[in-house]
Amino acid sequence: MNLDGRKYVILVFIILVGIVYLARLFFMQVVDDTWKLRAEEIAEKRKEITPPRGIVFDRKGKKIVTNRSYYNLMMREDDIVDLDTVAFAKLLGWTPQEVKNRFWNIRKKEGKYRNPHTGKLQENYQSQRPYPFIEELTIDEITRIAPNLSKFPGFYEDLTSMRFYPYAGGANIFGYLSEVNQEEIDEDPFYRRGDHIGRAGMERFYEKELRGRKGIKYIVTSASMNAIESYANGKYDTTARQSPPLKMGVDIDLQVYGERLMINKRGCIVAIEPATGEILALVSSPSFDPNLLVGKQNISKNYPTFLLDEGKPLYPRPLAAEYPPGSIFKLVQALIGLQEGVITPESGFPCNKSMVGCHNHPSAGSLPDGIKHSCNPYFYYVTRRIIQQGKKRSMFADAEVGLNRWSDFMHSFGLGEKFDSDITGLRPGLIPNAAYYDEWYGHHTWAFSTIRSISIGQGEVKVTPLQMANIAAIIANKGWYYTPHFVRSIGDSGPLPQFRKKHYTMVESQHFTPVIEGMRRAVYAPGGTAHRASFAEDIIVCGKTGTAQNPAGEDHSIFISFAPMDKPKIAIAVFIENAGFGGVWAAPMASLMMEKYLKGKITDKEKETRILTANLLNVKPKPKKRK
Amino acid sequence: MRRDDSLTQHVDWWLFTVVIIMLGMGIANVYSAAYNPDHPSIFDFSQKYGKQIIWVGVSLFLGLIVFLIDADIYRKFAIPIYLFTFSLLVLVLFMPAVHGARAWLGFGSLGIQPAEFAKIGTAIALSTYISQVNIKQQNIPTVFLALGIVVVPMIMILLQPDAGTFVVFTSFFFVLYREGITFDPIVLRIVNTLPGVKFKETWVGSHFIPILFFTVFLSLITLLMSGNEYEFTFMRGVLISGFWGIIIVLVIIAILAYLLLRFISSKREKGRVLAIVLIGFSLSAIIATTVNFSFKNLAEHQKDRIELFLGLKQDPDGEDYNRNRAMAAVGSGGMFGKGYQQASVASVEANHVPESETDFIFCPLAEEWGFMGSIAIVFLFMFMLIRIVVIAERQRSTFNRVYAYCVAMIVFYHFAVNIGMNIGFAPVIGIPLPFFSYGGSSLMSFSMMLFILLKLDSQRRDVLH
Repeated sequence: MNLDGRKYVILVFIILVGIVYLARLFFMQVVDDTWKLRAEEIAEKRKEITPPRGIVFDRKGKKIVTNRSYYNLMMREDDIVDLDTVAFAKLLGWTPQEVKNRFWNIRKKEGKYRNPHTGKLQENYQSQRPYPFIEELTIDEITRIAPNLSKFPGFYEDLTSMRFYPYAGGANIFGYLSEVNQEEIDEDPFYRRGDHIGRAGMERFYEKELRGRKGIKYIVTSASMNAIESYANGKYDTTARQSPPLKMGVDIDLQVYGERLMINKRGCIVAIEPATGEILALVSSPSFDPNLLVGKQNISKNYPTFLLDEGKPLYPRPLAAEYPPGSIFKLVQALIGLQEGVITPESGFPCNKSMVGCHNHPSAGSLPDGIKHSCNPYFYYVTRRIIQQGKKRSMFADAEVGLNRWSDFMHSFGLGEKFDSDITGLRPGLIPNAAYYDEWYGHHTWAFSTIRSISIGQGEVKVTPLQMANIAAIIANKGWYYTPHFVRSIGDSGPLPQFRKKHYTMVESQHFTPVIEGMRRAVYAPGGTAHRASFAEDIIVCGKTGTAQNPAGEDHSIFISFAPMDKPKIAIAVFIENAGFGGVWAAPMASLMMEKYLKGKITDKEKETRILTANLLNVKPKPKKRK
Repeated sequence: MRRDDSLTQHVDWWLFTVVIIMLGMGIANVYSAAYNPDHPSIFDFSQKYGKQIIWVGVSLFLGLIVFLIDADIYRKFAIPIYLFTFSLLVLVLFMPAVHGARAWLGFGSLGIQPAEFAKIGTAIALSTYISQVNIKQQNIPTVFLALGIVVVPMIMILLQPDAGTFVVFTSFFFVLYREGITFDPIVLRIVNTLPGVKFKETWVGSHFIPILFFTVFLSLITLLMSGNEYEFTFMRGVLISGFWGIIIVLVIIAILAYLLLRFISSKREKGRVLAIVLIGFSLSAIIATTVNFSFKNLAEHQKDRIELFLGLKQDPDGEDYNRNRAMAAVGSGGMFGKGYQQASVASVEANHVPESETDFIFCPLAEEWGFMGSIAIVFLFMFMLIRIVVIAERQRSTFNRVYAYCVAMIVFYHFAVNIGMNIGFAPVIGIPLPFFSYGGSSLMSFSMMLFILLKLDSQRRDVLH
């Protein structure tokens, strides 16, 4: 048997395996990129750094929405192995003694308790529980410390960032944040699981601004996910950038004061600066401390409670509640009448109560008196003249033309439509036009007499409190308005373009003078409905009460107003559900708000106490009919 | 009887140099893989690199002792040496288990692995036995005794259990094959019982071991490649299935082998060379096709099991964690690597690849030095193995030759399996890469093995066995 050839078999094996391995290595290392990608997946982590959410200032520069956004350096004693105190202290910039003291302090701070069974004093501190070793580290500090933490087992960083509302008010303005859902993650690559997103109010509308820009840090990580070093010396990293602060038109003191006044009442207060359209206060009652909806635990605890609450604290009444405006609507009717030339400031109408009821007062001989007395028949006649102008032979066709004209006027006041504003959850209200009634009654089957209750702000007409306040602002400006809005500036960029555009009504400015005079008389003239609205000698208040009939219960108390008369600084609407006559509750409340805003303090303490202590929740409203 | 007294006169400097280069590279590599920035000195003996230096020192010292001792001693004391290493294998079974295996003798970091030294004992015993047997007269008892020398320690090792070293012991079957001690007597005994059959030898019985090895090797590669599709940078858009890729590679190898063999063989043998290449190619193609075809017709769960075993299943963080990460480390090295001490996957600190300083030492090496580093390692081992075979073939004594083949095959197995499991060509069985992996036992046993070979070779002219 010749065995000599067998050495070649063995040599062939050695060479074959070598060549095959070289080919494989060439393929794996040089040709195929799969393993490079897999290695990146394993070892390189893209760490996103979320900047703290943008902060918000009020009109006086007070911080009204801030963050509690910080990293905690956590410590779990059981995980600590051979702590190199000197190196650790060096990392923190402490002395070794300070590190030792800190351990001791954590222990001490937890305190002791007496075990009821043994009667012995025991420490609350538990070595298996994590404790914050250093609290509230900034991003800069933690990015310096975190990459080195892998050398100190038992220590890790923990990010906590939460909204904080120092004034405990304005919940309905600010809205709240909660964790993003899958749909939002899929839709916007910005979000990662566990991120927060604005769910309502300003937090929702300005989400894209407030969230800022995320920073991205590429790091090389170990199997236990500890960062080892930054990748390529941070060449590809981007820094996180916080949003510029939002500056709001809101006066937080006024807002909080309004919420105090509205305790134990249902309804709302809206205050606008007429010259700019900035919302000064937007009170919805009942309300809640916005801090109660911060964080997962708070939301899961409080949100269901709010949802089931009879007072519907989550319902943004000033924007979404569509009420019949009642008598304040007469102001707009008067303005349209004047513009259409169907009445003059000197027009008088008898208070004959034949078509609509009224309270007892002398017949109004002029428009200002008609407003002062809030005479229902007076405005019945005014509105009839607007709607039935006699331009068409048929009464029905005439009403159709007239109503559509009237509706156009109303829309020019921002009624019956949503504002293009930074307020989420707006409702349009309702201003009926011919098509609306055609559907209701049939074409050419209705005339003014059919729809007469719209003349005094009842019937089909629906207006939100925000729109009511805007009516006051329009009258204060004599014919124009800026869209009511929250934010006057993002950083220093000024208001959004849509808030720089003046909206003119279809009523010319000279027609406002008699209406304003009527509003002045309502407050100051004898027999005026709103004498409780005045608050100071040197400031003339113009106002108009409203008392909207409510088939479900007591009337709603309404008051709109602005002051001072010659140079209006605040326009306000107060709406209190089921509180009865507008002059009794809404007017004094508006006066307190205006005084607070214009004077900074309240002189008539008796008035204030009366409002603060009043409980107007006793009349239970039936569920409101909503469209 | 010695012709001269110089210890170094006939030392094979080629082999010696390769060993020293490997030891040096091994230290540098362990220093990189296990680098601890708190203990930057390479001579910090609390660290693995410091310890590795101690082990290298001890190994070189053992090598020196081997050189001072006359090589005759191994043949003379073959049985005591074999029994001594065997008794250590027995003793280790009474030691407490570490990581589920009773592989360590001693305490703490001073332990040794008897299985590593059993390789030397077995190699010496097998060489001594074969040098005494007249292989022309081989029969069933001689075959069984030769097998017994190998199989008995294998059983002890399996009891530890240590699957890696168990597999390595099968390398001795190649030595038996080279020396003509085959399974032929057994096969003949069975075949010749059939009426009318009277074989003197069977081809299958003689070449059983290499055929088996080749079949396993080719089958593994077929299974690993056949499921994939490959696209090459120079042929974008053309997808080549793994199976056809293998066939193409086989064709290329066959052509290269034919040209090479034609170049080195005489004119007379050309026809025979062509026949051998053609038969080899056909057999390989048949094996690949059979494996490919039968695998595709397996039931799903059987396929799953095989794929998981081979690390093909997409379970990157599950059962196939180690190899997937090892391959990621190797593959991410690229052409020139990430640079010394720059491994992001395979470094001990990152710990993505467990055992990256022992069984997966090839990972940090391939990641840091890239394909250039890999090629260097593969060439070093190929050179070492071919050199050992050359040394083996020039021995006058059968003992020396058999021993040299034992060394060659053991190193070959370690090389093939260790690097194979780093590149997805072998299942993960924990065996070290000779001279590179961290660990005293493997380093000392390989050094002694090689230095004994060098010593035997340097005295080859003295002996007439």
